[in-house]
Amino acid sequence: MSRPILESINLTRTVSIDNKPRTIVDNFSFQFQQGGSYLIIGPSGAGKSSLLRLFNRLDEPTTGTIRFHDKDQCNYSPCKLRRSIGYLFQTPYLFEGSIIDNIRYADSELSDDDITRLTDMVHLRSNLIHSGSSRLSGGELQRVAMARLLAMSPEVILLDEPTSSLDPTHTETIEELIGEIRRKHSVTVIVVSHDPAQALRIGGDALLMVEGRLIETGPVEQIVNNPQTEFGQLYRDRKLS
Amino acid sequence: MNNPALTEVVISLLLVVASLAITRYWKINVAKDISLGSVRAFVQLIAVGYVLQLVFDIESVWLVLLCLAVMILIGAQAAASRIKGFRGSFAITLLAMTVGSFFTLASMLALNIITMEARYIIPLGGMIIGNSMNATALTLDRLTSDVKNNRLAIETSLALGKSWRVASVGFVRSAATTGMISILNFMKTVGIVALPGAMTGMILAGADPLEAVYLQIIVAYMLLAAVVVTSIVTVELTIRKFFTRFHQLTLND
Ligand SMILES: Nc1ncnc2c1ncn2[C@@H]1O[C@H](COP(=O)(O)OP(=O)(O)OP(=O)(O)O)[C@@H](O)[C@H]1O
Ligand SMILES: [Mg+2]
Repeated sequence: MSRPILESINLTRTVSIDNKPRTIVDNFSFQFQQGGSYLIIGPSGAGKSSLLRLFNRLDEPTTGTIRFHDKDQCNYSPCKLRRSIGYLFQTPYLFEGSIIDNIRYADSELSDDDITRLTDMVHLRSNLIHSGSSRLSGGELQRVAMARLLAMSPEVILLDEPTSSLDPTHTETIEELIGEIRRKHSVTVIVVSHDPAQALRIGGDALLMVEGRLIETGPVEQIVNNPQTEFGQLYRDRKLS
Repeated sequence: MNNPALTEVVISLLLVVASLAITRYWKINVAKDISLGSVRAFVQLIAVGYVLQLVFDIESVWLVLLCLAVMILIGAQAAASRIKGFRGSFAITLLAMTVGSFFTLASMLALNIITMEARYIIPLGGMIIGNSMNATALTLDRLTSDVKNNRLAIETSLALGKSWRVASVGFVRSAATTGMISILNFMKTVGIVALPGAMTGMILAGADPLEAVYLQIIVAYMLLAAVVVTSIVTVELTIRKFFTRFHQLTLND
């Protein structure tokens, strides 16, 4: 019924650290289905952010390919591809200027109505939008970055630990927002999370990643509570650093 | 004072001795620097004097070009050595200084402001090259450190589908401005705060003040053009080193 939108095939990225090669994404193969919800979990340093950077083509794979809509990513212009596969960084960055300026940066032709629609979507108080970005709280900053991302109307969104800098109440509202976006806009959502409880709350298919490799996949409840692999059990028992 | 001879130079050494005495009395530890500096200034300038004499006597276009080339090479090397952690900086400073200097000198020749004579080309070329050296070093330094310190901002732009050009344009502009700032400040204050060297020299040598001023104005405009061209060439060459053709930021650190 669904078809793959994003596919990685034997994806590998090797970087050199102090002149020694190190594989940070290792032979990673997976198909993401259109409209799906995916959680990439794994210990710190597993290569989760590195994988998202490859999907957004901010880095080049050493070997392997990424396919988007059944076509090699090399067939797309990098700039267009990035607008279709939106990427929210682990530490979101806002440019100088107002919140509107920041959202318009993603698309200068947005009308005032579009802006209102976007800020409503992320539940950003409308009296904020003309103010500068420097005095926002962590949660508000995350929402602006989210609105700016949605302004590109991406088909896939990559969210890298979207709540890592937030307190529990903000965390909850961002999680709700992620669910809403997915339901209302049939976007494929790929969320990186280091928190199994959060992964369960968001729901979907989980991908456990350790040392650059894809270890185990399946419904998030299974991966978090009842993993089949040794690494999966170690991760569940918090024995992976 | 008539045109100075060696006697006056030797007598002026008394000022060096006075400086030594004063700093020693206040226990400012610069005796070695003063001695070395004074000797170096003497030797280097005398040497240059003889070289210039020779070049002016021979009056060959090729010799003039050779002098310019040597000055640019040394200047480009000095500018590149100021930048740390950036491979290929010499090629950039060399090309930027060459383009900036030759563009300016060629324009002056084409506009008939100067003629192809060693006594114009060499001193003006020297001033141009010195200023263009500072411009390329400042610009290159500013751009490399800005790009390295603003990785998140640049990649945020790229991730929003902007080209490398758009993602870096703010840093490119401010780096180019950095290279131009000293000549712009010079032009704003010249004549009010200080009398520049070229003009002072001409007046000391007995020229009309007005004639000296005309020359100084030409020199200022000439340096402006040299610095602007050098800074632009520098940023255009440098910024490309930071991006792949797939609009990816690469920091090889
Ligand atoms: N360009 C690079 N050069 C060298 N090492 C890198 C580079 N990019 C990432 N790494 C290393 O690769 C490993 C994986 O990093 P990555 O940021 O992808 O992990 P992560 O799973 O996102 O971790 P976290 O949960 O802490 O964010 C880390 O050890 C990191 O230091
Ligand atoms: Mg990460």
